[in-house]
Amino acid sequence: MRAILRRAQSAVALLAILVLAVIVSPVAADGSRIFLEAGNLTDILRQISLIGMISLAMTFVILTGGIDLSVGSILALSTSLTAMLLTRAWPTASYGSHIAMAILGSMAVSTLAGAVNGLAIATLKVQPFIVTLASMIGLRGLAKWLTNNENIDIGFGRDVAARFAEIFREKAIVIGAFAGSAAIFWALLDRTVFGRHVRAIGDNEKAAEYAGLPIRRTKVWVYSLTGLLAGVAGVLYASENHQGNPNAGVAYELDAIAAVVIGGTRLSGGKGSISGTIVGTLIMGVLTNMLRLNNVDSNVEMMIKAVIIVLAVAVQRERNG
Amino acid sequence: MAESLLEVSGVEKHFGGVAALRSASLAVEAGEVHALMGENGAGKSTLARIIAGITPADAGSFRVDGEAVTISSPLDSQRLGIGMIHQELDLFPSLSAGENMVIGNLRFQEGHWTGVRRMEAFCRPYFDQVGLTCGVREAAERLSIGQSQLLAIARALSMNARLLLMDEPTSALFDDAVERLFGLIRGLRARGVSVVYVSHKMDEIFRISDRVTVMRDGQTVGTREAASTNTAELIRMMVGRELNLTGGPRERVRGDAVLAVENLSTDRLRDVSFKLHRGEVLGIAGLVGAGRSELGAALFGLDPIRGGRVRLMGSDFQPRSPRDAMRRGVGLVPEDRRTEGLMMSMSVRENAAFATLDRIHPLGLLRPSRERRELEGVSRQVALRCSSPDSSVSRLSGGNQQKVLLARWLLLHPEVLFLDDPTRGIDVGAKQDIYRMVEELSAAGKAVLLVSSELPELLRCCHRILVLREGRVTAIFDTADATQEKIMAAATLVEAQA
Repeated sequence: MRAILRRAQSAVALLAILVLAVIVSPVAADGSRIFLEAGNLTDILRQISLIGMISLAMTFVILTGGIDLSVGSILALSTSLTAMLLTRAWPTASYGSHIAMAILGSMAVSTLAGAVNGLAIATLKVQPFIVTLASMIGLRGLAKWLTNNENIDIGFGRDVAARFAEIFREKAIVIGAFAGSAAIFWALLDRTVFGRHVRAIGDNEKAAEYAGLPIRRTKVWVYSLTGLLAGVAGVLYASENHQGNPNAGVAYELDAIAAVVIGGTRLSGGKGSISGTIVGTLIMGVLTNMLRLNNVDSNVEMMIKAVIIVLAVAVQRERNG
Repeated sequence: MAESLLEVSGVEKHFGGVAALRSASLAVEAGEVHALMGENGAGKSTLARIIAGITPADAGSFRVDGEAVTISSPLDSQRLGIGMIHQELDLFPSLSAGENMVIGNLRFQEGHWTGVRRMEAFCRPYFDQVGLTCGVREAAERLSIGQSQLLAIARALSMNARLLLMDEPTSALFDDAVERLFGLIRGLRARGVSVVYVSHKMDEIFRISDRVTVMRDGQTVGTREAASTNTAELIRMMVGRELNLTGGPRERVRGDAVLAVENLSTDRLRDVSFKLHRGEVLGIAGLVGAGRSELGAALFGLDPIRGGRVRLMGSDFQPRSPRDAMRRGVGLVPEDRRTEGLMMSMSVRENAAFATLDRIHPLGLLRPSRERRELEGVSRQVALRCSSPDSSVSRLSGGNQQKVLLARWLLLHPEVLFLDDPTRGIDVGAKQDIYRMVEELSAAGKAVLLVSSELPELLRCCHRILVLREGRVTAIFDTADATQEKIMAAATLVEAQA
C-alpha cells in the first residue's frame, strides 16, 4: 500500500506540472492552448527520448549502487561513428545494408565500451565513479580523435546518409525507440531473475555474495546495457541533428541521473523503479517545454530545474523516513 | 545508605515492533565494578547505549547522585560523567591518538588552531594512567586492538568520567591484554570510578565484579553480590524458564562421511581436520576470532584454501565461490544476518528465494506464484511468522528474519549446511524452532555444522563438538563425554599444551 502511494507521489508531481503547463500555456489564434496541441505533446516525447533511454539504463546502474558518468561520451562516440560509417565506409553497399551496418557497428562499439566499464568495475573492484569518470574522459578523447574534432555532416545530399537521417528522425521512430526500451527495461527489472539480481546487489552486495548471486556477470551486463542504450541514443542523435558530433552529449549523464533520482530511485542502490524514471524524465521534459513556450530564459530554466531536483528528492526522503 | 551514583528504572525501548527493553533498571554505586549480564539479545547493550546517550529511550527515569536527569545525547552523558567503551571501539581510524582524545571533548578547550604541544599536555596524564605508550601523533588505525581500547578508556577518563560503561570489552582481546585491562579496572575502582561491565562470560564476571545485575528478554531479573552468588544461580536467572535442553541429539547416526577435511589451512586456519557424517550435527565451539566463521568461509568458497584437502561425498572439493559451493550442495547461513544475509529493503519472498532463483525460475523469468508456493512449504518447516510473504523483511523480528535466511537455504536442499551462530540475538521461542529444524535436517540425513557461542546449545543440539582456538582444532568431543568446562578449557587454555 505504501509502495503504491510512493509511486503515486511522483505521478502526482507530474500531474501538477502538467496542469500548471496547461494553465500557463500561451493561447493560439483559435483559442486553443498551444501546450495541448498534438504536435507539441509529441515534441516533448521526442525531446526526452534520448535522455529517457539513457535514464532507463542509468536506473539499473544506480540500482546496483553504481553510477555511470560515461554515457554522454559514449553517445558522442556512437553518433560520430554512425556518421563516419555512413559517409566513409562501404561505398558499394546497398542503402539498406549500409544503414544497418552503420547502426549495428555503432551500437556494438558502444556496448563494448560499456562492457569494459563493467569489467573494470566488477573485476578490478575500482569504484564505478572513478572507472566511468575515466572512460568519460577517454571515450570523449577517442570520439574527437577519430573525427579530428570536426562535425561530420550527413543528410545534406541525396545519398545513403540522407536516407538514414530521413528515416530515423521520424518522431514515431524516436519515440518508439524510447517506448520500446522502456517496456523492455521494465520487464527486465520487474519480471526477470536478472532484475532481481540487480536490486539485490545494490541493496546488500555482501549478502548477495553470501547468497551466491552472480555479482560480476550482473554488473558487466548492467554497464553493457548502458553502453548499448547510450549507443542507440547516439544513432538517433546523428539523424536528428544531421551530423556526427564528437562534442555531443555533454552533461547528459547528469540529466539522466537527475531523472532517475526524481523518479524515486535511491542513489545508494537497491530501491527504485523504471516507472519512476519514466515519470522523472517526463517531469523534466514537460517543465522544459512549459518554460520554453513561455519564453523563459534558458538560464533561468536551469535554475528552476535545480530547485525541482532537490525538492523532488527531499519530498521522497521525508516519506521514506 | 548513600545515594547511588546512577539509578535508572522503568527503561523501555522498542525497535520497530520489537521490544528490546521493557522495564529495565540498574543501580550503580560509586566505586564498584558492576557486571551487566544476560544472554545475547537480553538487552544489556541497549541499556548501556541508552545510559550513554547514544540511543534515546522510549521511557524511563534516570538519576545521577539522586537527582533526576535526562540523557538524550552523548554530550549529556559526558557532562554527567558517564563514558562508554564500545565493543567495536568507535575511534576515528585515520585521526591521530591525540585527535581522538580531544575531538568532541568538552574538557579540552579547542582553539582555532590545533596545537600538538597543547594536545600532548592534555593527553599524556591519561595515557600514563591507562598505560598507553604510543605518541599522540600515532594514527589510531595503527594501534593494536588492546591499545585502541586503552585509548578509548583514556578518552573517557579525560572527559572526567565517574562511570565507565564497557560493552564486552574482552571479546576481541588476547589473554595478556585481558589481564592488563582487569588490572586497569581495579585501579579505576580504587580511585572511586565505577565500571559497568557488560558481558556474558561467567569467569570474567566472578573475577572482576562486585555486583551482578542479570537481564533477560529486556527486563532486569535481579542484582546479586558477586561474592554471595554462583554460576548456577546466575545461569538460572539468565535463562529463566527452563530452556528445553532435553531431547538433545538422537542416538548416534553414523552414516557415510559426507565431508572429510584433512589438514585444511587458509589464511586464518591451520591444519584443521575432521569428518562429518550423514545425519550428523557437528558443533563448532571457540571464542570470537578462533576461526569458527573462517571455517565456514573456507568450505563455502569465500576464503581461498591454502593447503590440505577437502572431500565432499567422496570427490575433491575446492570451492572457488559461494556459487560453486552451492552447486556442490553446501549452504551457509552467515553470522550477521543484517550485513551478510538479508536484503533489508526486499520482501520475505524475495529474500527466501535468492539461493534457488535458477531452480524456481529456470527461464530467468520471475514466477511469483511459484515462489509463493515454494515459500509456503518451507516457512512451515521453519515456523516463520509474518503477515504476508510480500512484506518487507525489515519489519520482522530478529528471530523471524533468521528464519527467512534458513528458509533460503532449506529451499536449496543442501547436503551440508553450515549454520554460523544462528540463534544469536533471537528470542527463546525462535531458538526452539531452530533446534527443532536442525533435528529434522539431521533426521533427514543431512549433515549440519553448527557454530554457537552458547555451550548449552551445542551440548543440546550436536552429536559431536569440535573446538577451535586460534585457527586450530584443540579438541573434538562426543557430546556424551563433553561438559561446558571441558569445552571452555579446550577453547581457552594454551598453556596446558605448551
